[in-house]
Amino acid sequence: MSTTTLPDRFDLTRDLLEVGRDALVVGGIGNATFDLFGAEDRDTNFYMMGSMGLAIPIALGLALAQPERSVVALEGDGSLLMNLGCLATVGQQAPENLTIVIWENAIWQLTGGQRLASAETCDLAAVAAACGISNVHRPRDRETFTSTVRHALDAPGPHVLCVPINPGPARASHHVDPIWLKHRFMRNLGIVPD
Amino acid sequence: MLLPWQQAIIDAFKAERIQLIAHVADSVLAPIIAALEADDAFTVVTLTREEEGVGLLSGAYLGGMRGALLLQTSGFGNTINAFGSLPLPYQIPFVVLHSQRGFLSEHNVVQVAGGRAVPAVIEALDIQEFVLDAADTAPDIAQRAVHHAFVARRPVVLTLSTRLTGGKRR
Repeated sequence: MSTTTLPDRFDLTRDLLEVGRDALVVGGIGNATFDLFGAEDRDTNFYMMGSMGLAIPIALGLALAQPERSVVALEGDGSLLMNLGCLATVGQQAPENLTIVIWENAIWQLTGGQRLASAETCDLAAVAAACGISNVHRPRDRETFTSTVRHALDAPGPHVLCVPINPGPARASHHVDPIWLKHRFMRNLGIVPD
Repeated sequence: MLLPWQQAIIDAFKAERIQLIAHVADSVLAPIIAALEADDAFTVVTLTREEEGVGLLSGAYLGGMRGALLLQTSGFGNTINAFGSLPLPYQIPFVVLHSQRGFLSEHNVVQVAGGRAVPAVIEALDIQEFVLDAADTAPDIAQRAVHHAFVARRPVVLTLSTRLTGGKRR
């Protein structure tokens, strides 16, 4: 399959938000967060502005703190490579309410399209499985992605979805203040920050 | 059996409703970690790298759960960008319990440069550091430093001086 015919991150993010109306969603640095903001700016979204590699740890902490809520991490393959160890931690903690989506375009799109170490030789789905995460999925098109997300949000996790996407840029960008975002996110959960 | 200053740290965590503990290997912290693991009031997560803990505790705080990151000096060096880009700009508080390396009682030359640099890095990040260096004052400082993180709305470093702990045994 040519990479240009692969699904688009923006469309898939919109599909995910449609299925996961109540999910708490952590957008990883760069395009993952930009398309999350563009797909729909919700109080339940948390946008990262830096901290490459920490979308999954943030979502794991949120999942431990909010066991009754579904938590989704949207992370790029390039960002995950900076912090592969976090998958071992997720496998060990195994929170049932955590779903991890890895957008796989095999490049650092935002910085000029440099090829990743995982472009040909590293299978991130196999890494996740080897870390003890038993629910690893490889949806290849929009329809399968939507049904897999629906399953992941219903069935006990953790789930990892490794999703090939086309190499295009995000369709949106965002401009938010981090302290304001913290307040919006926490107050939506009924928490008054310190 | 914990020493009074070790117990005081755990008591301070409880008094400030800290529930989530994230840690990376350190022998001085080991008895505290063991006590936290044995206590149902805490969820203890073993990390692969200290930076991961900055994300984990930030996410937990957003979900209403307070936490503490337990590390040694070299491990703080793994966290600089994580602190600069997440808990500091978003104003997310947690406690960093920092076991000092590279100072008096050090036996490993490779810890010395980091031990010299990390206090300057903590200062440069504009993170407040409180040092426990004597058994008689440690409980009071621990209690107030842990409280201070949530007043300041940002991470606070609570450093265990080797003058208090004796450092890592060879």
